[in-house]
Amino acid sequence: MSAAGKRKAGMSSSSQRKNNKLPKKSESKPQNRISLLKLPRVVLLEVVENLDFFEIVIFSLLSKRAKNIAKLIPWRPLTIRLKLECSLNVTLNIPNGPDETWSILYNNRGTSEVLHFTKLIDTSVDHSLSVKNNGNAIEDFKRIVENIYEVFQSPICRIDICDEQFVEWIIKFQPAARYFWIHNDVTSGETLDRVFKSLKGTNYFFSKSTITGEETTVTEPIPSRVIRLTYSSWFTLPLILNGSNSVMELYRSNLTPKDINTILKEWQMGTKLQNLEYLSIETSSEV
Amino acid sequence: MSSTEQGTSSAAPAEPTTAPESAAAPEVPESFYYVHGKDKVVHKVSAGALQHSALIHGMISNLGYTEEQAKANPFPFENIDGDILQMVVDWCNQHKGKPTPPEDTNLPKQKEKLFDLVLAVNYLEIKELLTYCCKQVAMMVKGKSPEEIREIWMIPTDAEDEAAEKEAKKRAGKEAAGETAAAAGDAK
Repeated sequence: MSAAGKRKAGMSSSSQRKNNKLPKKSESKPQNRISLLKLPRVVLLEVVENLDFFEIVIFSLLSKRAKNIAKLIPWRPLTIRLKLECSLNVTLNIPNGPDETWSILYNNRGTSEVLHFTKLIDTSVDHSLSVKNNGNAIEDFKRIVENIYEVFQSPICRIDICDEQFVEWIIKFQPAARYFWIHNDVTSGETLDRVFKSLKGTNYFFSKSTITGEETTVTEPIPSRVIRLTYSSWFTLPLILNGSNSVMELYRSNLTPKDINTILKEWQMGTKLQNLEYLSIETSSEV
Repeated sequence: MSSTEQGTSSAAPAEPTTAPESAAAPEVPESFYYVHGKDKVVHKVSAGALQHSALIHGMISNLGYTEEQAKANPFPFENIDGDILQMVVDWCNQHKGKPTPPEDTNLPKQKEKLFDLVLAVNYLEIKELLTYCCKQVAMMVKGKSPEEIREIWMIPTDAEDEAAEKEAKKRAGKEAAGETAAAAGDAK
């Protein structure tokens, strides 16, 4: 994939963006057009291989046929991160590749219907593109993420959920990721129950949700290698003992000294907590 | 560089001006071949220049034509427009015996010809030129919005694709029905 042709920030047709209008069809001269999909398959694939990430994403959104063509190319695996908070943001990096980050962002709390595509080299903007959509920007953003997943055939590596409205979509779309972060905006016990039952952070599960024991009914341990719970009052002794985690960091815990003693004994004897390598419990009870 | 001559493939081409030879030209005289496109204009091209085309190279590698035989039997490429073939021949001459630079300024810039050029280059199997043409096609949409990309590359919407598919099925059905009716008529 080439990232040839550095561009200045912004779209080439800046006047068009200012007016938020798409160009009229007649503006494009016929001689500057080419019937791409009529090219032989091998040629078509070579053209698509020369596109940058944003162009591939946009191309794949144009039609099912275009998406299926983009899927035929064996792209290098990507590191994809998805952050669902007041700004919806998906970022793409090539592992061990150039220090470039490709980001697609939509300000969920704003009134704008514009998705911002930005390429960063280190921390400076290399080029950006604003894409206006005609309908529901959130749905468009979800579609973009699904297309990225499908076309580049790379699962999303890290998912941050700060907004409960996306939980059901994530459960349906990609219920397992290496890193799952649940932020403190997720405050419903019902949602957290859904999260723990249906989402799996294979490597890391981090919850900052301020939920308490009365609000949640979680009965199964969290099957992640590492768990870190900022508010763990709901995380009971059986959940700890029956877990297979390697690292557990529990803050604001309600465990009693007796509970902690049980944990340490079981860990020492090796009857439970056989995978545990590191344990940190912060509790208000005096040990 | 190559010269062209109006005429038919069977006509003997006039003596064309050939590409300038480098100072260190091989002692063995270079062999030349002749090609023509849809317009029947014959182009004289050196074997060295034609090596860029895997298709033509494959065709000539075992022919062992003499100059006279080659003149009398130009390779016909009836599916390639004359002006497109001219561009290809020019490019092959300019890059004879040289690797193609990453940014090839010798490539024709006319966008309206790009589609036909890509098809011809793909057919003639000129890998380096094809790579460059594909980059040119990709460059057409740099910095463009989705709607502009759709327009530039003439990508139909899903609804248009579905309608076209239905239409094609309908047409195929009608043709099949027509053939059946004709066959029944013949049988009577």
